Amino acid sequence: MCGTLESNDLLVKVEPRSELEVVISSVVMRQFGVRIRQVVDETLQRMEVTHGLFVIEDKGALDCTIQARVQTAVMRASECEELDWSVL
Amino acid sequence: MKKPRRSMLFIPGSNAAMLSTAFVYRPDSIMFDLEDAVSLRAKDSARMLVYHALQLPMYREMETVVRINPLDTPFGHKDLEAAVRGGAEIIRLPKTDCAEDVLRLEREVERIEKECGRKAASTRLMAAIESASGVVNALSIATSSPRMDSIALAGFDYVVDMQTQRGDGMELFYARCAVLHAARAAKIDAFDVVFSDVNDDEGFLKEVNLIKRLGFNGKSLINPRQIELLHQAYTPSEEEVAKAKRIVEAALEAERAGHGVVSLNGKMVDAPVVLSARRILDLARSSRASAY
Amino acid sequence: MSNEPIFETMIPRRNARGAEVRSLLAASGLEIEKDIQIFVVACDAGRIVACAGLAGEVVKCVTIAEPYRGSALACRLMCEVQMLAMKRRHSHLFLYTKPGNAVLFEGCGFHMLAEVKGHACLMENTPVGIRDYCDKLQPFRQTAQRIGSVVINANPFTLGHLHLVREARRACDWLHVFVVSENASAIAYAERLDMVRAGLAGMDRVTVHRGSRYLISKATFPGYFIKDSCVVEACSTAMDLLIFRKYIAPALGITHRFVGSEPFCRLTAKYNEDMLDWLETAAEEGAPIQVVEYPRFEVDGRAVSASEVRRLLARGDFAAMDSLVPVATLSQLRASYPRVRPAVDCRATELIGVM
Repeated sequence: MCGTLESNDLLVKVEPRSELEVVISSVVMRQFGVRIRQVVDETLQRMEVTHGLFVIEDKGALDCTIQARVQTAVMRASECEELDWSVL
Repeated sequence: MKKPRRSMLFIPGSNAAMLSTAFVYRPDSIMFDLEDAVSLRAKDSARMLVYHALQLPMYREMETVVRINPLDTPFGHKDLEAAVRGGAEIIRLPKTDCAEDVLRLEREVERIEKECGRKAASTRLMAAIESASGVVNALSIATSSPRMDSIALAGFDYVVDMQTQRGDGMELFYARCAVLHAARAAKIDAFDVVFSDVNDDEGFLKEVNLIKRLGFNGKSLINPRQIELLHQAYTPSEEEVAKAKRIVEAALEAERAGHGVVSLNGKMVDAPVVLSARRILDLARSSRASAY
Repeated sequence: MSNEPIFETMIPRRNARGAEVRSLLAASGLEIEKDIQIFVVACDAGRIVACAGLAGEVVKCVTIAEPYRGSALACRLMCEVQMLAMKRRHSHLFLYTKPGNAVLFEGCGFHMLAEVKGHACLMENTPVGIRDYCDKLQPFRQTAQRIGSVVINANPFTLGHLHLVREARRACDWLHVFVVSENASAIAYAERLDMVRAGLAGMDRVTVHRGSRYLISKATFPGYFIKDSCVVEACSTAMDLLIFRKYIAPALGITHRFVGSEPFCRLTAKYNEDMLDWLETAAEEGAPIQVVEYPRFEVDGRAVSASEVRRLLARGDFAAMDSLVPVATLSQLRASYPRVRPAVDCRATELIGVM
């Protein structure tokens, strides 16, 4: 789990699953739901994540915040200590 | 015109909301903190947040500083990678006690710059002095590396090391002087301590006026409200500006006429006085620029 | 930055400040529930200004002092609770709260499951919890008119259970049997499930389902699992039944629910009564489900009871058990509990509305 539910932030929860699924709920779902989805998908793709359930509760975070939180959540979930900066 | 560096706003790297919005306060420089303001369990997420925030266009336009954790912690090296790769202009090294601390940092920064293709020597260093040793070694720290940008005094840890407490400023007297002298001798900038009581405007201004008189380039701030107050205090008065203008004009006049000596109202004006007048005008200009 | 409340965890029973938590809750008309293991509290200048209790996977006794209400503290509190729960290996959490607070908690990452109007609502911290569960049930949906259901604890699986299943099966086209999965009974869930499967082996038109958090669990029916709880509030059974009616029944197309009469346990008897209300008569979400109650199966004039079997088990009296349980159950019990085990739970109250 990573992040907070404060304004301009998001909470990312990860659970093991055999496939990849992303569930998003956001305070600005209508206007930015698609964009949030895009950013999350791209971030996961670049990190070569192929499975897991990602539940995202967004409170109006900027793209860069979404990227950062998702990356941290992935690293925590995979207990990865060393980061390969080239994938970011 | 040299960029003003009066206000350095501290932002906890773990606070996504603040990272998203702090640029609106327009401090002269912004410091993303990965050290004391961030809890242990949030160190990794703060690092990523700062890495990404550094690349936002609005921060690219400002002077960005990142305070990393000391290199002998599990976090320091990773923080440094994020900060350099993210594009921070300056790395602030906490608890700098001696020149070797700076050199160790410098070696790491150089390595990372090479690895990520960042322009060599583009990352500058700021040493935070937080102990008696640091104060005593201030000069060697300030002159330890060509990358040294500035030296900052950090009040809280320092007074603990000195076995005293924060009070009316007397407890920082020597440290402030030492740090300033070292900075000036090394021709780098000097920054003063954080004033932590955000509700005490009077106390804050008193301290600002003191350090301004001492000659500090600026001060670390923890609350955006302090920015306005600080900038105002650093703004030269109309009288000062008028006088400075006259001096600078006289200097220009002397130059045009090919005179070797500048004179104003029948009195000789030394080069340092002219330099000082120019500085005042710079400050005045930046105050106008930032006050809109 | 330093003026924000700081969060701590505490166990009220063991902590001198437990009284503070108690009075904070009392101000909102709440009491510390018995099953709460630990609290997350927010302290401002040394005073406790907010708290949230954790009982396994269930968050309850959540309250925030008046001057601090506003979503910022609530969000931080719920984040801290979730982080604490994760450390205790519970990532899927349920939350009990008053209906008026639902909106607040929705802003804290919780999603509504069911509401007992005017009393309480149950929420969970994922938008896809119940959805995923129902998706897993879908493949077992049968196309037929009368789809029955039975929920049993089978602690252990007796001839009484077997009788109920047989009767229920006769009365419908297909029967779904759910085994309560909460591991709070004398006999472990894995063994109970095995017994049920063995006992119903070879029976067609029957599907045995693993239980879930959504069906007679500490989340949906906490009162059931609190030892010696005789106080049965209106909503304690309702939540479980509402969820059954709103989500589980529609996923499988269930039209009937069968239960055995309950002569022994007040709590279970009430559950059966409430079943009629909530599943059949009340105007609630989900199509009404017909509730059918059968009289208990008797042997030698006495109703077969699982607790009686457990008493015999504690004495190691397998001979007496012979007339009360199917062969498969008997051999399983012999194998798992070869010696006398006085520690086996001899709760006087029965578990689950069947036996």
